[in-house]
Amino acid sequence: MSAVVALTERTVRATLRSDLPLAIVAPVGNLIAFNFLLSGVIDTGGMSYAQYVLPVIVIQAVFLGALTTVERAATDQRTEFGKRLGTMPISTVSPLMARMLYCLMRGALSLLAALAVGYAFGFRISGGLGYVLAFTVLTLMFTLALSLAADAAGSSVATAAASQLFVAPQMLLVVLSTGLAPLDSFPDWVHPFVRDQPVSQVTEALRGFAGGHVVASNLIASVAWCAGLFLVFGTLAIRMQRRTE
Amino acid sequence: MITGTPLRGSVFNESLVFAGQLLTKWRRAPVVPIQSVLFPTFLLITYYLLVGKSVLNITGTDSLYGLVPTCAIAGAFSGALAAGLAMSLERDSGLLSQLWALPVHRASALIGRMLAEAIRTLASTAVILIVGIGLGLRFHGNVVSLLLFLLVPVLVVIVFSLMVIAVAVRAKDGTVLIWLALPAITAVFASSGSPPIESLPSWMWPLLRFQPMEPIVDSMRILSQGGFPASQLLIGLAWTTLGIVVISPLAIRGYRVAAESGGVQG
Repeated sequence: MSAVVALTERTVRATLRSDLPLAIVAPVGNLIAFNFLLSGVIDTGGMSYAQYVLPVIVIQAVFLGALTTVERAATDQRTEFGKRLGTMPISTVSPLMARMLYCLMRGALSLLAALAVGYAFGFRISGGLGYVLAFTVLTLMFTLALSLAADAAGSSVATAAASQLFVAPQMLLVVLSTGLAPLDSFPDWVHPFVRDQPVSQVTEALRGFAGGHVVASNLIASVAWCAGLFLVFGTLAIRMQRRTE
Repeated sequence: MITGTPLRGSVFNESLVFAGQLLTKWRRAPVVPIQSVLFPTFLLITYYLLVGKSVLNITGTDSLYGLVPTCAIAGAFSGALAAGLAMSLERDSGLLSQLWALPVHRASALIGRMLAEAIRTLASTAVILIVGIGLGLRFHGNVVSLLLFLLVPVLVVIVFSLMVIAVAVRAKDGTVLIWLALPAITAVFASSGSPPIESLPSWMWPLLRFQPMEPIVDSMRILSQGGFPASQLLIGLAWTTLGIVVISPLAIRGYRVAAESGGVQG
Protein backbone atom coordinates (compact mmCIF):
# COMPACT_ATOMS: atom_id res chain seq x y z
CA MET A 1 0.00 0.00 0.00
CA SER A 2 2.89 2.36 0.78
CA ALA A 3 4.08 1.89 -2.83
CA VAL A 4 0.71 3.12 -4.11
CA VAL A 5 0.86 6.15 -1.80
CA ALA A 6 4.45 6.94 -2.82
CA LEU A 7 3.67 6.64 -6.54
CA THR A 8 0.53 8.76 -6.17
CA GLU A 9 2.51 11.41 -4.31
CA ARG A 10 5.10 11.35 -7.11
CA THR A 11 2.36 11.98 -9.70
CA VAL A 12 0.80 14.77 -7.64
CA ARG A 13 4.17 16.49 -7.25
CA ALA A 14 4.86 16.17 -10.97
CA THR A 15 1.48 17.66 -11.93
CA LEU A 16 1.19 20.46 -9.37
CA ARG A 17 2.07 23.10 -11.95
CA SER A 18 0.55 21.55 -15.06
CA ASP A 19 -2.27 19.02 -14.91
CA LEU A 20 -3.84 19.87 -11.54
CA PRO A 21 -4.33 23.58 -12.33
CA LEU A 22 -5.80 22.45 -15.66
CA ALA A 23 -8.26 20.25 -13.74
CA ILE A 24 -9.58 23.45 -12.16
CA VAL A 25 -9.32 25.83 -15.11
CA ALA A 26 -10.85 23.52 -17.75
CA PRO A 27 -14.32 23.07 -16.17
CA VAL A 28 -14.43 26.75 -15.20
CA GLY A 29 -13.49 27.85 -18.74
CA ASN A 30 -15.82 25.35 -20.38
CA LEU A 31 -18.80 26.37 -18.27
CA ILE A 32 -18.22 30.05 -19.01
CA ALA A 33 -17.71 29.37 -22.73
CA PHE A 34 -20.69 27.05 -23.18
CA ASN A 35 -22.95 29.20 -21.04
CA PHE A 36 -22.30 32.26 -23.18
CA LEU A 37 -22.00 30.56 -26.57
CA LEU A 38 -24.94 28.16 -26.38
CA SER A 39 -27.39 29.55 -23.82
CA GLY A 40 -29.05 31.72 -26.46
CA VAL A 41 -29.02 28.96 -29.07
CA ILE A 42 -30.19 25.86 -27.19
CA ASP A 43 -33.73 25.77 -25.80
CA THR A 44 -33.77 23.94 -22.47
CA GLY A 45 -37.35 24.75 -21.54
CA GLY A 46 -37.82 26.24 -18.08
CA MET A 47 -34.35 25.29 -16.84
CA SER A 48 -31.47 27.78 -16.95
CA TYR A 49 -28.68 26.71 -19.29
CA ALA A 50 -26.11 26.70 -16.46
CA GLN A 51 -28.31 24.28 -14.50
CA TYR A 52 -28.76 22.15 -17.62
CA VAL A 53 -25.15 22.06 -18.83
CA LEU A 54 -23.14 21.70 -15.61
CA PRO A 55 -23.32 17.87 -15.45
CA VAL A 56 -21.71 17.56 -18.89
CA ILE A 57 -19.07 20.14 -17.93
CA VAL A 58 -18.11 17.79 -15.09
CA ILE A 59 -18.07 14.83 -17.49
CA GLN A 60 -15.97 16.78 -19.99
CA ALA A 61 -13.45 17.55 -17.25
CA VAL A 62 -13.35 13.82 -16.52
CA PHE A 63 -12.64 13.16 -20.22
CA LEU A 64 -9.84 15.73 -20.20
CA GLY A 65 -8.41 13.94 -17.17
CA ALA A 66 -8.64 10.69 -19.12
CA LEU A 67 -6.58 12.25 -21.93
CA THR A 68 -3.78 13.01 -19.48
CA THR A 69 -4.16 9.49 -18.03
CA VAL A 70 -3.53 7.99 -21.48
CA GLU A 71 -0.37 10.08 -21.70
CA ARG A 72 0.76 9.13 -18.19
CA ALA A 73 0.17 5.39 -18.68
CA ALA A 74 1.99 5.48 -22.02
CA THR A 75 4.93 7.33 -20.46
CA ASP A 76 5.15 4.88 -17.55
CA GLN A 77 5.15 2.01 -20.02
CA ARG A 78 7.67 3.59 -22.38
CA THR A 79 10.29 5.06 -20.06
CA GLU A 80 13.08 3.61 -17.97
CA PHE A 81 11.10 4.43 -14.83
CA GLY A 82 8.37 2.04 -15.92
CA LYS A 83 10.91 -0.73 -16.51
CA ARG A 84 12.52 -0.04 -13.14
CA LEU A 85 9.15 -0.38 -11.38
CA GLY A 86 8.83 -3.86 -12.86
CA THR A 87 11.98 -4.98 -11.03
CA MET A 88 10.91 -3.66 -7.63
CA PRO A 89 9.35 -5.80 -4.89
CA ILE A 90 5.90 -4.24 -5.32
CA SER A 91 2.66 -5.52 -6.81
CA THR A 92 2.45 -5.23 -10.59
CA VAL A 93 -0.82 -3.33 -10.23
CA SER A 94 0.60 -0.74 -7.81
CA PRO A 95 1.45 1.79 -10.58
CA LEU A 96 -2.06 1.32 -12.01
CA MET A 97 -3.65 1.80 -8.58
CA ALA A 98 -1.56 4.93 -8.02
CA ARG A 99 -2.66 6.36 -11.37
CA MET A 100 -6.31 5.60 -10.57
CA LEU A 101 -6.01 7.19 -7.13
CA TYR A 102 -4.57 10.29 -8.78
CA CYS A 103 -7.44 10.27 -11.32
CA LEU A 104 -10.01 10.18 -8.53
CA MET A 105 -8.28 13.08 -6.77
CA ARG A 106 -8.17 15.01 -10.03
CA GLY A 107 -11.83 14.19 -10.71
CA ALA A 108 -12.85 15.40 -7.25
CA LEU A 109 -10.91 18.63 -7.80
CA SER A 110 -12.61 19.20 -11.18
CA LEU A 111 -16.00 18.48 -9.63
CA LEU A 112 -15.38 21.02 -6.86
CA ALA A 113 -14.24 23.66 -9.36
CA ALA A 114 -17.25 23.04 -11.61
CA LEU A 115 -19.71 23.22 -8.71
CA ALA A 116 -18.11 26.40 -7.39
CA VAL A 117 -18.29 28.26 -10.70
CA GLY A 118 -21.69 26.68 -11.41
CA TYR A 119 -23.00 28.13 -8.17
CA ALA A 120 -21.96 31.60 -9.37
CA PHE A 121 -23.94 31.00 -12.58
CA GLY A 122 -27.03 29.81 -10.71
CA PHE A 123 -26.53 26.03 -10.57
CA ARG A 124 -28.11 24.45 -7.48
CA ILE A 125 -28.45 20.92 -6.10
CA SER A 126 -31.87 21.26 -4.56
CA GLY A 127 -32.41 17.72 -3.27
CA GLY A 128 -30.36 17.90 -0.08
CA LEU A 129 -27.22 16.20 1.21
CA GLY A 130 -28.15 12.72 -0.05
CA TYR A 131 -28.39 14.00 -3.60
CA VAL A 132 -25.09 15.89 -3.29
CA LEU A 133 -23.48 12.64 -2.18
CA ALA A 134 -25.12 10.69 -5.02
CA PHE A 135 -23.98 13.35 -7.53
CA THR A 136 -20.40 13.02 -6.25
CA VAL A 137 -20.38 9.20 -6.14
CA LEU A 138 -21.74 8.81 -9.68
CA THR A 139 -19.22 11.36 -11.01
CA LEU A 140 -16.32 9.54 -9.35
CA MET A 141 -17.62 6.15 -10.53
CA PHE A 142 -17.63 7.42 -14.10
CA THR A 143 -14.19 8.99 -13.54
CA LEU A 144 -12.77 5.65 -12.44
CA ALA A 145 -14.41 3.73 -15.30
CA LEU A 146 -13.16 6.21 -17.89
CA SER A 147 -9.70 6.41 -16.33
CA LEU A 148 -9.34 2.63 -16.52
CA ALA A 149 -10.29 2.76 -20.20
CA ALA A 150 -7.74 5.53 -20.78
CA ASP A 151 -5.07 3.66 -18.84
CA ALA A 152 -5.63 0.48 -20.83
CA ALA A 153 -5.38 2.47 -24.07
CA GLY A 154 -2.22 4.28 -22.97
CA SER A 155 -0.53 1.12 -21.74
CA SER A 156 -1.29 -0.78 -24.94
CA VAL A 157 -0.20 1.95 -27.36
CA ALA A 158 2.69 3.36 -25.29
CA THR A 159 3.59 6.07 -27.80
CA ALA A 160 4.23 9.74 -27.18
CA ALA A 161 0.96 10.80 -28.79
CA ALA A 162 -1.27 8.09 -27.35
CA SER A 163 -3.78 10.63 -26.01
CA GLN A 164 -4.77 11.63 -29.56
CA LEU A 165 -6.62 8.30 -29.81
CA PHE A 166 -9.03 9.49 -27.16
CA VAL A 167 -9.93 12.84 -28.73
CA ALA A 168 -12.45 11.65 -31.34
CA PRO A 169 -14.48 9.34 -29.04
CA GLN A 170 -14.51 12.06 -26.38
CA MET A 171 -15.86 14.62 -28.81
CA LEU A 172 -18.43 12.22 -30.24
CA LEU A 173 -19.74 11.25 -26.80
CA VAL A 174 -19.80 14.75 -25.31
CA VAL A 175 -21.17 16.76 -28.24
CA LEU A 176 -23.68 14.15 -29.41
CA SER A 177 -25.28 13.78 -25.99
CA THR A 178 -28.19 15.26 -24.09
CA GLY A 179 -25.56 16.95 -21.93
CA LEU A 180 -25.30 20.04 -24.14
CA ALA A 181 -28.78 20.07 -25.68
CA PRO A 182 -32.11 18.28 -25.26
CA LEU A 183 -32.85 15.35 -27.57
CA ASP A 184 -35.22 17.42 -29.74
CA SER A 185 -32.34 19.69 -30.81
CA PHE A 186 -30.79 16.84 -32.79
CA PRO A 187 -31.94 15.44 -36.15
CA ASP A 188 -34.32 12.47 -35.74
CA TRP A 189 -31.99 9.87 -37.26
CA VAL A 190 -29.34 10.43 -34.55
CA HIS A 191 -31.82 10.24 -31.62
CA PRO A 192 -31.25 6.55 -30.70
CA PHE A 193 -27.49 7.07 -30.34
CA VAL A 194 -27.81 10.40 -28.49
CA ARG A 195 -30.41 9.02 -26.09
CA ASP A 196 -28.73 5.73 -25.14
CA GLN A 197 -25.01 6.50 -25.05
CA PRO A 198 -23.21 6.62 -21.66
CA VAL A 199 -22.60 10.38 -21.43
CA SER A 200 -26.30 11.09 -21.99
CA GLN A 201 -27.34 8.55 -19.39
CA VAL A 202 -24.86 9.79 -16.78
CA THR A 203 -25.60 13.49 -17.38
CA GLU A 204 -29.36 12.86 -17.19
CA ALA A 205 -28.85 11.04 -13.87
CA LEU A 206 -26.64 13.86 -12.55
CA ARG A 207 -29.21 16.42 -13.68
CA GLY A 208 -31.83 14.38 -11.84
CA PHE A 209 -29.74 14.42 -8.66
CA ALA A 210 -29.34 18.18 -8.98
CA GLY A 211 -33.07 18.66 -9.42
CA GLY A 212 -33.99 16.28 -6.61
CA HIS A 213 -35.89 13.74 -8.74
CA VAL A 214 -33.83 11.14 -10.58
CA VAL A 215 -35.46 8.76 -13.08
CA ALA A 216 -34.81 5.16 -12.00
CA SER A 217 -34.16 3.90 -15.55
CA ASN A 218 -31.52 6.63 -16.03
CA LEU A 219 -29.79 5.75 -12.81
CA ILE A 220 -29.78 2.02 -13.58
CA ALA A 221 -28.43 2.66 -17.09
CA SER A 222 -25.71 4.98 -15.71
CA VAL A 223 -24.58 2.50 -13.08
CA ALA A 224 -24.69 -0.31 -15.67
CA TRP A 225 -22.51 1.71 -18.08
CA CYS A 226 -20.02 2.48 -15.28
CA ALA A 227 -19.94 -1.15 -14.13
CA GLY A 228 -19.55 -2.42 -17.70
CA LEU A 229 -16.70 -0.03 -18.49
CA PHE A 230 -15.15 -0.82 -15.12
CA LEU A 231 -15.21 -4.58 -15.71
CA VAL A 232 -14.05 -4.56 -19.32
CA PHE A 233 -11.34 -1.92 -19.06
CA GLY A 234 -10.34 -2.81 -15.51
CA THR A 235 -9.56 -6.34 -16.72
CA LEU A 236 -7.70 -4.96 -19.74
CA ALA A 237 -5.72 -2.44 -17.68
CA ILE A 238 -4.63 -5.10 -15.17
CA ARG A 239 -3.70 -7.44 -18.02
CA MET A 240 -1.59 -4.66 -19.58
CA GLN A 241 0.35 -4.32 -16.30
CA ARG A 242 0.95 -8.07 -16.12
CA ARG A 243 2.01 -8.22 -19.76
CA THR A 244 4.95 -5.93 -19.14
CA GLU A 245 6.30 -7.91 -16.18
CA MET B 1 41.67 16.40 -54.86
CA ILE B 2 40.52 19.97 -54.35
CA THR B 3 38.40 20.65 -51.30
CA GLY B 4 36.69 23.96 -51.01
CA THR B 5 33.77 25.26 -49.04
CA PRO B 6 30.72 23.09 -49.61
CA LEU B 7 28.16 24.41 -52.04
CA ARG B 8 25.21 25.89 -50.22
CA GLY B 9 21.72 25.87 -51.61
CA SER B 10 19.30 28.73 -51.34
CA VAL B 11 17.33 29.18 -48.11
CA PHE B 12 14.17 28.34 -50.04
CA ASN B 13 15.51 25.03 -51.39
CA GLU B 14 16.81 24.00 -47.98
CA SER B 15 13.50 24.99 -46.38
CA LEU B 16 11.70 22.83 -48.95
CA VAL B 17 13.85 19.86 -47.93
CA PHE B 18 13.01 20.42 -44.25
CA ALA B 19 9.33 20.82 -45.10
CA GLY B 20 9.43 17.61 -47.14
CA GLN B 21 11.08 15.77 -44.26
CA LEU B 22 8.34 16.92 -41.85
CA LEU B 23 5.53 16.04 -44.27
CA THR B 24 7.03 12.57 -44.76
CA LYS B 25 7.27 12.13 -41.00
CA TRP B 26 3.63 13.16 -40.56
CA ARG B 27 2.59 10.74 -43.28
CA ARG B 28 4.36 7.84 -41.56
CA ALA B 29 3.21 8.67 -38.03
CA PRO B 30 -0.09 10.40 -38.76
CA VAL B 31 -0.83 12.01 -35.39
CA VAL B 32 -0.56 15.52 -36.85
CA PRO B 33 -2.81 14.82 -39.90
CA ILE B 34 -5.30 13.09 -37.59
CA GLN B 35 -5.39 16.15 -35.36
CA SER B 36 -5.63 18.59 -38.25
CA VAL B 37 -8.12 16.68 -40.43
CA LEU B 38 -9.98 14.09 -38.37
CA PHE B 39 -10.49 16.28 -35.30
CA PRO B 40 -12.04 19.27 -37.13
CA THR B 41 -14.08 17.00 -39.42
CA PHE B 42 -15.49 15.25 -36.37
CA LEU B 43 -16.04 18.61 -34.72
CA LEU B 44 -17.85 19.98 -37.77
CA ILE B 45 -20.19 17.01 -38.08
CA THR B 46 -20.98 16.68 -34.37
CA TYR B 47 -21.32 20.42 -33.73
CA TYR B 48 -23.52 20.82 -36.80
CA LEU B 49 -25.78 18.05 -35.53
CA LEU B 50 -25.86 19.81 -32.15
CA VAL B 51 -26.62 23.40 -33.19
CA GLY B 52 -27.70 23.18 -36.84
CA LYS B 53 -31.42 22.90 -36.15
CA SER B 54 -31.41 25.56 -33.40
CA VAL B 55 -29.39 28.13 -35.39
CA LEU B 56 -31.64 27.64 -38.41
CA ASN B 57 -34.67 28.36 -36.20
CA ILE B 58 -33.08 31.52 -34.77
CA THR B 59 -31.45 33.07 -37.84
CA GLY B 60 -33.07 31.37 -40.82
CA THR B 61 -29.61 30.72 -42.31
CA ASP B 62 -27.54 27.56 -42.34
CA SER B 63 -24.94 27.47 -39.54
CA LEU B 64 -22.50 25.67 -41.87
CA TYR B 65 -21.32 28.98 -43.32
CA GLY B 66 -19.91 29.87 -39.92
CA LEU B 67 -19.03 26.37 -38.72
CA VAL B 68 -16.84 25.37 -41.68
CA PRO B 69 -14.42 28.32 -41.19
CA THR B 70 -14.51 27.83 -37.41
CA CYS B 71 -13.63 24.14 -37.68
CA ALA B 72 -11.01 24.76 -40.37
CA ILE B 73 -9.14 27.14 -38.07
CA ALA B 74 -9.67 24.93 -35.00
CA GLY B 75 -8.19 22.06 -37.03
CA ALA B 76 -5.22 24.15 -38.10
CA PHE B 77 -4.61 25.00 -34.45
CA SER B 78 -4.91 21.44 -33.18
CA GLY B 79 -2.57 20.20 -35.92
CA ALA B 80 -0.01 22.81 -34.89
CA LEU B 81 -0.37 21.69 -31.26
CA ALA B 82 0.21 18.05 -32.21
CA ALA B 83 3.33 19.12 -34.11
CA GLY B 84 4.40 21.11 -31.04
CA LEU B 85 4.07 18.02 -28.83
CA ALA B 86 6.44 16.19 -31.16
CA MET B 87 8.82 19.13 -31.10
CA SER B 88 9.54 18.92 -27.38
CA LEU B 89 10.39 15.23 -27.92
CA GLU B 90 12.71 16.20 -30.79
CA ARG B 91 14.44 18.64 -28.47
CA ASP B 92 14.88 16.02 -25.72
CA SER B 93 16.16 13.35 -28.11
CA GLY B 94 18.74 15.77 -29.54
CA LEU B 95 17.24 15.82 -33.05
CA LEU B 96 16.93 19.62 -33.07
CA SER B 97 20.63 19.84 -32.21
CA GLN B 98 21.54 17.44 -35.02
CA LEU B 99 19.55 19.50 -37.52
CA TRP B 100 21.16 22.67 -36.16
CA ALA B 101 24.62 21.23 -36.82
CA LEU B 102 23.92 20.59 -40.52
CA PRO B 103 25.74 22.83 -43.03
CA VAL B 104 22.60 24.71 -44.02
CA HIS B 105 21.15 28.15 -43.43
CA ARG B 106 20.13 28.59 -39.80
CA ALA B 107 16.68 29.83 -40.79
CA SER B 108 15.84 26.93 -43.12
CA ALA B 109 14.69 24.47 -40.41
CA LEU B 110 12.23 26.97 -38.97
CA ILE B 111 11.04 28.22 -42.38
CA GLY B 112 10.67 24.59 -43.48
CA ARG B 113 8.49 23.91 -40.46
CA MET B 114 6.29 26.91 -41.29
CA LEU B 115 6.07 25.74 -44.90
CA ALA B 116 5.02 22.24 -43.82
CA GLU B 117 2.40 23.72 -41.48
CA ALA B 118 1.09 25.88 -44.34
CA ILE B 119 0.81 22.90 -46.73
CA ARG B 120 -0.90 20.77 -44.07
CA THR B 121 -3.36 23.56 -43.24
CA LEU B 122 -4.15 24.15 -46.90
CA ALA B 123 -4.92 20.44 -47.35
CA SER B 124 -6.97 20.14 -44.15
CA THR B 125 -9.00 23.28 -44.97
CA ALA B 126 -9.79 21.81 -48.39
CA VAL B 127 -10.92 18.53 -46.77
CA ILE B 128 -13.12 20.36 -44.25
CA LEU B 129 -14.66 22.46 -47.03
CA ILE B 130 -15.46 19.27 -48.98
CA VAL B 131 -17.07 17.75 -45.86
CA GLY B 132 -19.02 20.99 -45.39
CA ILE B 133 -20.24 20.81 -48.99
CA GLY B 134 -21.26 17.20 -48.30
CA LEU B 135 -23.30 18.42 -45.32
CA GLY B 136 -25.08 21.01 -47.44
CA LEU B 137 -22.87 24.10 -47.70
CA ARG B 138 -22.96 25.83 -51.08
CA PHE B 139 -19.84 27.85 -51.90
CA HIS B 140 -21.15 30.91 -53.76
CA GLY B 141 -17.80 32.63 -54.33
CA ASN B 142 -15.63 32.54 -57.45
CA VAL B 143 -12.18 30.94 -57.87
CA VAL B 144 -10.43 33.91 -56.23
CA SER B 145 -12.80 33.67 -53.25
CA LEU B 146 -12.09 29.95 -52.98
CA LEU B 147 -8.34 30.57 -53.06
CA LEU B 148 -8.61 33.24 -50.37
CA PHE B 149 -10.88 30.97 -48.31
CA LEU B 150 -8.17 28.29 -48.36
CA LEU B 151 -5.33 30.74 -47.68
CA VAL B 152 -6.80 32.61 -44.69
CA PRO B 153 -6.28 29.68 -42.24
CA VAL B 154 -2.71 29.31 -43.58
CA LEU B 155 -1.96 32.88 -42.57
CA VAL B 156 -3.38 32.31 -39.09
CA VAL B 157 -1.63 28.98 -38.54
CA ILE B 158 1.79 30.52 -39.23
CA VAL B 159 1.30 32.89 -36.28
CA PHE B 160 -0.08 30.12 -34.09
CA SER B 161 2.74 27.74 -35.06
CA LEU B 162 5.30 30.34 -34.05
CA MET B 163 3.47 30.64 -30.74
CA VAL B 164 3.50 26.84 -30.32
CA ILE B 165 7.23 26.69 -31.16
CA ALA B 166 7.99 29.47 -28.67
CA VAL B 167 6.21 27.47 -25.95
CA ALA B 168 7.11 23.89 -27.00
CA VAL B 169 10.87 24.41 -27.09
CA ARG B 170 10.80 25.80 -23.56
CA ALA B 171 8.18 23.45 -22.06
CA LYS B 172 9.09 20.55 -19.81
CA ASP B 173 6.15 18.48 -21.05
CA GLY B 174 3.17 18.70 -23.39
CA THR B 175 0.63 19.79 -20.77
CA VAL B 176 1.72 23.43 -21.16
CA LEU B 177 0.51 23.33 -24.76
CA ILE B 178 -3.02 22.54 -23.55
CA TRP B 179 -2.90 25.91 -21.75
CA LEU B 180 -2.24 27.46 -25.14
CA ALA B 181 -4.93 25.38 -26.85
CA LEU B 182 -7.82 26.30 -24.56
CA PRO B 183 -7.86 30.09 -25.10
CA ALA B 184 -6.97 29.74 -28.79
CA ILE B 185 -9.78 27.33 -29.68
CA THR B 186 -12.21 29.19 -27.39
CA ALA B 187 -11.39 32.40 -29.31
CA VAL B 188 -12.17 30.63 -32.59
CA PHE B 189 -15.54 29.47 -31.29
CA ALA B 190 -16.30 32.81 -29.64
CA SER B 191 -16.56 34.45 -33.04
CA SER B 192 -19.54 35.10 -35.29
CA GLY B 193 -18.86 31.78 -37.02
CA SER B 194 -20.20 29.67 -34.20
CA PRO B 195 -23.05 31.32 -32.27
CA PRO B 196 -25.29 33.87 -34.01
CA ILE B 197 -24.30 37.25 -32.57
CA GLU B 198 -27.92 38.01 -31.66
CA SER B 199 -27.96 34.99 -29.34
CA LEU B 200 -25.17 36.44 -27.19
CA PRO B 201 -25.54 39.05 -24.41
CA SER B 202 -25.23 42.57 -25.84
CA TRP B 203 -22.29 43.46 -23.55
CA MET B 204 -20.27 40.75 -25.29
CA TRP B 205 -20.65 42.20 -28.78
CA PRO B 206 -17.74 44.71 -28.54
CA LEU B 207 -15.47 42.00 -27.05
CA LEU B 208 -16.43 39.70 -29.89
CA ARG B 209 -15.73 42.31 -32.56
CA PHE B 210 -12.26 43.13 -31.27
CA GLN B 211 -10.85 39.66 -30.67
CA PRO B 212 -8.34 38.51 -33.34
CA MET B 213 -10.30 35.48 -34.59
CA GLU B 214 -13.47 37.44 -35.38
CA PRO B 215 -12.32 39.11 -38.64
CA ILE B 216 -10.62 35.87 -39.73
CA VAL B 217 -13.71 33.67 -39.34
CA ASP B 218 -16.00 36.42 -40.60
CA SER B 219 -13.94 36.92 -43.77
CA MET B 220 -14.12 33.18 -44.54
CA ARG B 221 -17.88 33.17 -43.94
CA ILE B 222 -18.41 36.13 -46.29
CA LEU B 223 -16.15 34.57 -48.94
CA SER B 224 -18.19 31.35 -48.89
CA GLN B 225 -21.40 33.36 -49.25
CA GLY B 226 -20.10 35.10 -52.37
CA GLY B 227 -19.10 38.47 -50.91
CA PHE B 228 -15.69 40.13 -50.72
CA PRO B 229 -14.73 41.01 -47.13
CA ALA B 230 -12.07 43.67 -47.82
CA SER B 231 -12.16 45.26 -44.35
CA GLN B 232 -12.20 41.90 -42.51
CA LEU B 233 -9.27 40.65 -44.57
CA LEU B 234 -7.28 43.81 -43.85
CA ILE B 235 -7.98 43.64 -40.11
CA GLY B 236 -7.10 39.94 -40.12
CA LEU B 237 -3.88 40.71 -41.97
CA ALA B 238 -3.05 43.43 -39.45
CA TRP B 239 -3.60 41.01 -36.54
CA THR B 240 -1.44 38.31 -38.13
CA THR B 241 1.33 40.77 -39.00
CA LEU B 242 1.33 42.02 -35.42
CA GLY B 243 1.43 38.40 -34.22
CA ILE B 244 4.40 37.55 -36.44
CA VAL B 245 6.31 40.67 -35.37
CA VAL B 246 5.76 40.00 -31.66
CA ILE B 247 6.11 36.20 -31.57
CA SER B 248 8.84 35.53 -34.18
CA PRO B 249 11.74 36.73 -31.99
CA LEU B 250 10.50 34.57 -29.09
CA ALA B 251 10.15 31.50 -31.33
CA ILE B 252 13.54 32.03 -33.01
CA ARG B 253 15.37 32.60 -29.73
CA GLY B 254 13.66 29.62 -28.09
CA TYR B 255 14.40 27.37 -31.05
CA ARG B 256 18.06 28.39 -31.05
CA VAL B 257 18.46 27.77 -27.31
CA ALA B 258 16.75 24.36 -27.60
CA ALA B 259 18.87 23.38 -30.61
CA GLU B 260 22.10 24.42 -28.94
CA SER B 261 21.25 22.61 -25.69
CA GLY B 262 22.11 19.25 -27.26
CA GLY B 263 19.01 17.47 -25.93
CA VAL B 264 18.43 15.59 -22.70
CA GLN B 265 20.08 12.40 -23.90
CA GLY B 266 22.99 13.91 -25.47
